[in-house]
Amino acid sequence: MKKECVAMLLAGGQGSRLYVLTANVAKPAVPFGGKYRLIDFPLSNCVNSGIDTVGVLTQYQPHELNAYIGTGQPWDLDRLDGGAHVLPPYMTNRGSEWYKGSANAVYQNIGFIEQYNPEYVLVLGGDHIYRMDYSLMLDHHKETGADCTISVIDVSYEEAKSFGIMNVNPDGTIYEFEEKPKNPKSTLASMGIYVFSWEKLKRHLILDEADPKSVNDFGKNIISNMLAAGEKMVAYRFSGYWKDVGTIDSLWDANMDMLLSDEIDLFTPAWRIYARNPASPPHYVGDNAVVSHSLVTEGCEVYGHVCNSVLFNDVTVDQGAFVEYSIIMPGAVIGRGAVVKYAIIAEGARIESGATIGAPPGDYADEPDRWGIAVVAAGVTIGPGRIVNAKQMADRDEL
Amino acid sequence: MNDMHGILFAYSSNFRLKELTEHRTASSLPFGARYRVIDFMLSNMVNAGITDVGVIMRENYQSLLDHLGSGRDWDLSRKRGGLRILPPFAYALTTDNKRVSRDASPYRGKLEALQAVGAYLDHIKQEYIVLADGDLIVNLPLEEIFEQHLASGADITCVCSSKRGDGLDAEASYARLGTRGRITEVLIGAMEEGIFPLLGVYILSKKKLTDLMAENSQHHNGVHFTRDILQRMQPHLRLMSYVYDGFSTRLRSVSDYFEQSMNLLKPGVRSDLFYRGRPIKTKVRDDASTYYAPESRVKHCVVADGCVIRGSLENCVVFRGVRIDEGAVLKNCIFMQDTRIEKSVELSYAITDKEVCIREGRSLKGHEVHPIAFSKGSVV
Repeated sequence: MKKECVAMLLAGGQGSRLYVLTANVAKPAVPFGGKYRLIDFPLSNCVNSGIDTVGVLTQYQPHELNAYIGTGQPWDLDRLDGGAHVLPPYMTNRGSEWYKGSANAVYQNIGFIEQYNPEYVLVLGGDHIYRMDYSLMLDHHKETGADCTISVIDVSYEEAKSFGIMNVNPDGTIYEFEEKPKNPKSTLASMGIYVFSWEKLKRHLILDEADPKSVNDFGKNIISNMLAAGEKMVAYRFSGYWKDVGTIDSLWDANMDMLLSDEIDLFTPAWRIYARNPASPPHYVGDNAVVSHSLVTEGCEVYGHVCNSVLFNDVTVDQGAFVEYSIIMPGAVIGRGAVVKYAIIAEGARIESGATIGAPPGDYADEPDRWGIAVVAAGVTIGPGRIVNAKQMADRDEL
Repeated sequence: MNDMHGILFAYSSNFRLKELTEHRTASSLPFGARYRVIDFMLSNMVNAGITDVGVIMRENYQSLLDHLGSGRDWDLSRKRGGLRILPPFAYALTTDNKRVSRDASPYRGKLEALQAVGAYLDHIKQEYIVLADGDLIVNLPLEEIFEQHLASGADITCVCSSKRGDGLDAEASYARLGTRGRITEVLIGAMEEGIFPLLGVYILSKKKLTDLMAENSQHHNGVHFTRDILQRMQPHLRLMSYVYDGFSTRLRSVSDYFEQSMNLLKPGVRSDLFYRGRPIKTKVRDDASTYYAPESRVKHCVVADGCVIRGSLENCVVFRGVRIDEGAVLKNCIFMQDTRIEKSVELSYAITDKEVCIREGRSLKGHEVHPIAFSKGSVV
């Protein structure tokens, strides 16, 4: 059946700058904000914007992501017609190849898109935290008669040097795209959210595929080529919370932002972020527990101190333990008297009694370069009394 | 995989639940910060591998229907089988299949209820049936009980609680146990010591059930399963017990509701009821996590998702989406879904139903045996 707009979600990235956190899972499956995985944000945005057909392009460590998406039911994307589809690379009678780049991933799934005969295709990344009504962007695309609309956000001049920057005419059309410019001419950063008129995108995907020098990337190749070919490219200004969570620091930062309702209000019923539910019981806060400026969810048992932190489901914080400015992912256990500060403790890790993880930046005032968020990888046990220093990444047991 | 079919009796007239059952049946009463009572037995069945469950309803069942939906949250939305809702017809049949007048009240007991869904029973494709009440709160190892049923050669396996009753509850039924768990006598509201309360969970074969129903309608026209089958036919049946020693309860009055909710603050009760190998599933609401503000003080509380807590709480059970403003001091309270407690409210021994709002500065105190209950949507 015909769909006006199909979304293609690029979820194949390794997320190598998240190091041990993405050793065994694709980046979009990284836990975020107490109840979510990164991919819940674009998926929920799609559903809340009225887009019911989403192709999820996977390649790197897909098992957990595939299981998480399942039939798409938690996002109401289990549809008779359309819905969520996981799209890994596949074989044809001409052989098979991995997705060479984001543009190639969509190119290889032209057949999937054509099943729905869409007018427009929305291309999204799976690693940003934001709430956005894509239908308004689509309206803008139609009103301006654009071939491609790129969502942009105003960043500071300094930040602009690390983004893909759109240089825009007064009427909102884009005349130039610069990747990480040394001297930015504008501060409008691409958010990696594109609406294309499908016929135009299809033509450029085919041209790009035929070019042996291309790295088959949306930003580097498709957008530049469309500009060069004189297609109508329009910037769509977004204002609101938007955060890239590509690094340990930005992931930690964005989680901390969830504690402030003025950043992104997760409690708004009108634009819920949906997630797969773990079916855990309500959480328990014990007699001597102190919980302050923190998010706590189902299955947690808190007997110690938790301040300025985000606890995911089924986390235990034992008597006398101190958790501050930290992110504790599902099923992790913080033992008796353990101290966890400025740290990310990944799924199922065990911090045993009296262990110390991370340190506040103040402890490194003399040598700030040595400070950073401490990370304990999934399933790792840190034995009694052991120490994981600030900025250290523990990816094997220390007993 | 096993060969069991579940039937839940999701009605009971517990008039002593007063305000709490004004809008619902005991089976759809919110309990345990994020559940409805029926979630427990429904999850028990699903966790034992049962894929077909019939839910027999009688009155006030709108909230129950709304909660169960298609059964998807329990994985019971199936192409073949799954959840089957069995509301009453506008009339009941007498047990000899003669229609009684239209204004007659539908089924008075479980036996009559089963008689009324005879066509449904005929189409059950599993060999065994689990009968249970929708208002029982427990996390049972039903699969293990089924294995015992098969191994013991019982006609009916009756689940009992190991908490020996004093026989003082006039509504409850009890079993006296002989050697090897054989039930030697079934008692109803008896004033005796050393007898085991029956939890109302029975496993028997479909054939046995239909035979017993036929025998009953030929000879006695009884309406109650406990009285007219278990008690009356006990001498001719091999009734075996399965004694469960974990936590189980039924809510029969407002003070019961309060006491059993407070029991959830005990670690032993929580680990029995929320045993991780058999998760209790419920309707998913997609709330965010609960936020604890810097000025909040929370001690010894069970809290669900989606709450924003800025006040002080001690010994409370807090359901999903509750807002508690600064300066509120709340002790020994139960706040159901979307309750709103405004600034500087002081409450103790109170139960607020869904969407209750307690306005700024109010101070109300109940008593442990007489907690104050605020009915759904009320504003104080």
